[in-house]
Amino acid sequence: MNNLKKQVLIFQLNGEPMGILADPAESLLTILREKLGLYGTKAGCGKGECGACTVLLDDRAVNSCLVPAGKVQGRKVETIENLSQGGKVHPIQEEFVEKGAVQCGFCSPGMVMSAHALLKENPQPNPEQVRVAISGNLCRCSGYKQIEEAILSAAEKM
Amino acid sequence: MILKTPEKNTHQYGKVEGTGYQSPEVWSKVTGKAVYGIDLAMPGMLHGKILRSPHPHARIKKVDTTAAKALPGVRAVLTGAELENRPFGIAVEDELPLAVDSVRYIGDEVAAVAAVDLRTAERAIKAIKVEYEELPAVYDPSEALQVGAPQLHDNFPGNVAWQREMERGSSDAVFAGADLVVEENFTIPAINATYLEPIACVAVDDPYTGITLHTALQSPDAVRNIVAKALNYPLSKVNINGPVMGGGFGGRVYGNLKVYILSALLAINSGSPVKIQLTREEEFTAGRPMIAAAIKMKMAVKSDGTILGREADIITDNGAYSGQAPWVSKTLSERNDSVYRIPSIKTRVRLAYTNKIPTGQYRAYGNQAANFAAESLIDMAAKKLGLDPLEMRLKNCVREGDITVHGLKIGKCGLSECLQAAAREIGWDHKKTGRGYGLSVAIHANGSLVFDKKFRGASALARLELDGRVTLFSGEQDYGQGTHAAFAQIAARALDVNPSQVTVESKETKTAPFSTGALAMRQTTVGGKAIQLAAEDLREKIFKAAAELAGEPVTMGNGVLYSITGQNLELAEIAYHYHNTTSGLSLTGEGKFVPEESDYDESGYGNISVAYSYAAHAVEVEVDKTTGALTINRLVAAHDSGRIVNHLTSRGQVYGGVAQGIGMSCFEGYLFDEGRVANASLVDYKIPTALDLPEIKPLFIEVEDPAGPYGSKGLGEIVMVPVLGAVANAAADAAGVWITDLPLTAEKIYQAMAGWECEI
Repeated sequence: MNNLKKQVLIFQLNGEPMGILADPAESLLTILREKLGLYGTKAGCGKGECGACTVLLDDRAVNSCLVPAGKVQGRKVETIENLSQGGKVHPIQEEFVEKGAVQCGFCSPGMVMSAHALLKENPQPNPEQVRVAISGNLCRCSGYKQIEEAILSAAEKM
Repeated sequence: MILKTPEKNTHQYGKVEGTGYQSPEVWSKVTGKAVYGIDLAMPGMLHGKILRSPHPHARIKKVDTTAAKALPGVRAVLTGAELENRPFGIAVEDELPLAVDSVRYIGDEVAAVAAVDLRTAERAIKAIKVEYEELPAVYDPSEALQVGAPQLHDNFPGNVAWQREMERGSSDAVFAGADLVVEENFTIPAINATYLEPIACVAVDDPYTGITLHTALQSPDAVRNIVAKALNYPLSKVNINGPVMGGGFGGRVYGNLKVYILSALLAINSGSPVKIQLTREEEFTAGRPMIAAAIKMKMAVKSDGTILGREADIITDNGAYSGQAPWVSKTLSERNDSVYRIPSIKTRVRLAYTNKIPTGQYRAYGNQAANFAAESLIDMAAKKLGLDPLEMRLKNCVREGDITVHGLKIGKCGLSECLQAAAREIGWDHKKTGRGYGLSVAIHANGSLVFDKKFRGASALARLELDGRVTLFSGEQDYGQGTHAAFAQIAARALDVNPSQVTVESKETKTAPFSTGALAMRQTTVGGKAIQLAAEDLREKIFKAAAELAGEPVTMGNGVLYSITGQNLELAEIAYHYHNTTSGLSLTGEGKFVPEESDYDESGYGNISVAYSYAAHAVEVEVDKTTGALTINRLVAAHDSGRIVNHLTSRGQVYGGVAQGIGMSCFEGYLFDEGRVANASLVDYKIPTALDLPEIKPLFIEVEDPAGPYGSKGLGEIVMVPVLGAVANAAADAAGVWITDLPLTAEKIYQAMAGWECEI
């Protein structure tokens, strides 16, 4: 019944062109999960406080729950699903497992995407830069130590 | 294409830094493929929403659902008056699925709706008209206990939800003869477990199989019992099927019973699957945080630092309904007493109903809250006597062979070694100027023998599959703490195979062996022992079947059996042989760990657990004298949890548990405004971020304890216990003043340093 508000949104999603009819005021998170079935991006608060819904918008980490869908028009969106395609696992993900950085795993997709954005911009970060980059991603399980180790180790290997 | 699996992990107990077997589930989690409760959807599924009370205490005069029911897309609307509404509860049956006559906190469940989408369900909730008559409310637990206070429940006069008084030894005489008595009042706020995934449940009702709740729980069997009773369904017609769990920390032992019962009732009434998912705000305002406590504690000591006795008068804040609060209050009021050789104890604890959010439990069950009080008092006494806090702890801490004041039998115990190791690592003997140092110790039980006196242990099955792999059937849940990896390692050790050959199955209550749950730090010790016994039983059965197949005796190594004449037998061959000769049965080992009955008496005296874990933490802090800001530089966590099964995941438990302890020490805690939660978001209720934590150094003092599997014991809860006392003591050492009200904010430290509170 709200079709009047809907627009055709065209953007690049995980390297492929995507066009959908959606309410531009809906959050990108809702579009990804409920319209496109990309459930890898998690929803922990819906208010930009926890970082579980982190995706890359034009290579920068954003809380997808705070991004109105209309804002992705003509831009590039990357989600966790893009990192392990074709049977290959991204080195960040490999190091997350190797270092024991995954416990309940609910923060992991968002955490991996924040790390991915960091390493795109700064391929050799120091520990402090890693901590700053993931400071918007809450994790209640890990105390962040093994996550930090994983990201530093991935940076070395990439 | 198949994703890489962690084959390279060693199958031995990981001794080497950086190694450790992990459950293959970590790969689905890190790639975003794991399916959590919030991700679940079913064909024809409706969305449920709960109407909550806006008043802290009110009588319900009228509920009008006419407009809600008339909305297109609404499929079910439930109110308390229309339901059979059987009382339910955990420790006490003081709750109803939906309120009938009165509401007792802001958030109390009044009506529930199922609709074709969430937006329609939300509109329907808003369309329900409720007439309330507001009643006087009480928010402070000590006020609630006073004569004339507004009463919450008719059958709990005086708002006393639970209370206990006990005396062991003769406290009055001990205090009269003491060289020093230290006394202080401590307060600890309610704490939210803050698992990152909000609770979600999809209920499916089927006329033949009954109700299935798709929801992740630490203790699904316990919840199954409660839900069956509340719905008046036979137990076998209730099944809980767990998706991946986005964190628990005690908060999901019973999770949110209202969500499970209401989603089931909506599914029954609508005839469709119904999903209820809490918002983060609902988690903060209608979840089940751990009780707040006010602890008045005093301790009698000799001038040489020997502890003679301790007295405590404790009031805990139950909120509107009890949940597990009586049990948490009990642990809070006594567990710390058993970490030292204390000859006499006198304790009163009262749990008071207030018109606030009902309470539940959180990792360590109140032991950490009491640690703040008890361990602060040790340092207060040491400072007054001019003693070294380390020496005072070493003088009094329990040792192997002791029986504590509450009757706990101290078996293998590395507590004093933990203390020495933590102190050495923090630099206790060469402290830096301008820094503060603090210590704290803890004991925590490995499962309870008295929780249900008739059911004390755990059971498991180990089945050899036709492909030679092994499946473990256990009711113990893994939500990232590493339980299933540990179980695979324990079984692998018994069977001499690689743990990657072992799968753990625990998903559904209707097929998994019964388990008390992921609680009381019982899984490795009690659940793991059952796994060991099941795997050993399977091993015997494999040998028997292999000898039959080979026609001669066999030995085993690396998952292959060898006969004395050198025939090699693969596990798959043996499995097939047994399968063929029994017309389809599988070789299955049974493990039942039935601990000896406890000698626990009516006063609560007795040995309540098969084993205890120990810990000592040491902390170095700095306090900014101009702002009061507390910075924790380093924390050393020395733990005796027996032999460590998996160093990688154990380190993860220490880092994560210490982080939670630091959150609780420094900034976490519920704030209330006239019964309303004043910090119901992750911005206002701050938990630690990656920028808030110090360097954390785990140390494992591996004193093997035969009580657990291959000498191993529990770790997951005790990790946060000593943090509270150690941080408080270090902060006091740096600031020169004591803060006795958690959390230790800059504001409180500044005010205390400025002389607005008592000085040392």
